[in-house]
Formats: sequence, structure tokens, C-alpha cells
Amino acid sequence: MLNRINIDQVFHAFGDPTRRKLVEQLSQGPASVSDLAKPLGITLAAVVQHLQVLERSGVVRTQKVGRVRTCRIEPAGLNLAADWIAERRALWERRLDRLGDILAEEEPPMGQAS
Amino acid sequence: MRTTANNSSVTHSTFSIERVYPSPPARVFAAFANQGIKRRWFAEGEGWQVDEFTMDFRVGGREVARFRFAGGPPMGNDTVYLDIVPDRRIVLAYTMIAGGTRISVSLATVELAQSGDGTRLLYTEQGAFFDGADNLAGREIGCRELLDKLAEELRAHE
Repeated sequence: MLNRINIDQVFHAFGDPTRRKLVEQLSQGPASVSDLAKPLGITLAAVVQHLQVLERSGVVRTQKVGRVRTCRIEPAGLNLAADWIAERRALWERRLDRLGDILAEEEPPMGQAS
Repeated sequence: MRTTANNSSVTHSTFSIERVYPSPPARVFAAFANQGIKRRWFAEGEGWQVDEFTMDFRVGGREVARFRFAGGPPMGNDTVYLDIVPDRRIVLAYTMIAGGTRISVSLATVELAQSGDGTRLLYTEQGAFFDGADNLAGREIGCRELLDKLAEELRAHE
């Protein structure tokens, strides 16, 4: 059975502008909850609540060391094998589309055949 | 299919893509057999800088592609051609490399069939995808791109 993240949870996590900002910030590197709260101008409690949603979706991981909770992006959560294969498939979809474009533009005159 | 995040997991998967082109099989086949044409659709046009693209299109022959996204880690494909039937079939095995580490090994089959005046192409890839590669810088970049794309998608629906 697939041990994969519920895609609904991921979309729910990204469905909120504050959470997207948090993820954007974290994509620059790990940060503490108060680091995250500052530029957003919201309370720590609100940030913690958003982080919980992100953590449940598997996109973000948080770890408490002493009194500081550090948050980081969890690439393993996002780079599911399914994404991996979807990416490869998309790569080939684009390649074969380009092949079609090249075939179309280089079509030589072939008698009446068209 | 395993999707755990440990470094040694392997996911096996198969996907197929079908296209119908208005060109006859011989011309579609030529686009795979001719290095200049193949380079154009295979390697260029993805926004990649192509550092190397050489191919030896015969059974047992090899193809080497090296490319990178602007500022990204070097990526590569190492290919060996296993079966070639002119205008009908090409079977190859390829390894994909990111930042010096193999991230997948695949068997790819291209089947061509006459379809009216055109050609029906079926591309099937059977792959072993190495999850350990997720730890690579390349995957981090891929992850960020994925996030950006997802964010874009969601913004569009706001």
C-alpha cells in the first residue's frame, strides 16, 4: 500500500495565502516560529496553527530544541515517487510535443500526400 | 511501489505516452536516428543549457547527454541502444544522473505504427526510480519549482 501524503491535505495546506508565505519563507532555509511570525505581522499562536496544518500535510517539519521550535521544508514529503514519475512523464510529453512541432515545420513536399 | 524517504528505496513504475503525428513512420524514425534532429526535441527547448549531446545510433551504441538549468546542478542521460527496427521500434536503456548521482534507470520502448497517412507513436518507460536521490540539491531545486508551480496554480484559482 502506498505510504503517500494525502493530496487533499497538501492542497488544503497550500490553499491559504499565509501558509503559502510560510512555505516561501521556509524554502529559503529553516526558521524559528518567531522568525516566521515577524514579517507576517501575525501572532505566534496563529503561525503555530498554520504550521500544524502544513506539518499534517507533510510539507513542513518542525522540531523543538530547548525553547525554540525550528521549522523546515520537508522535501521528502513533496518528492513523492508519484511526483517523481509524473515529472518524468511530463518531460517526455513535452519532448514528444516538440518532436511533433519539428515534424510539422520540416514536412518536405511529398507529392500529393497531405 | 515503495515511497519511503530512506536513502535506499527504489520505486518501480511504468508509464506510456501515445502521440499521432501526420508524418510517415520513416520521418518519425529519422527524428530519433538523426543526432541533429533528436538534439532539438530531446534536449533543447526545456530552458536547459546543453553541454554535450552525442549519439551512436546502432544496437549497442551509446548516447550521452549533459545539460543543466541556469545555475542548477549538472544533469545527464547515459543511454545504450538495445534494439532498433527501422521505422518500427527502438528500445533503449538509460540512466538519469543529477549532480553526479544516478537517480533512475529506465528501459524505454518507442513503437511506431502507420496510422492513415501518419504515425502512431507509443513511448513506454519502465523505470527504477531511486528515492535516495531526493536528498540531492537537484531535488531541492525541483521541490522549489514544484512549490512555485503549485502556488501559481492555486493563485490562478483565487
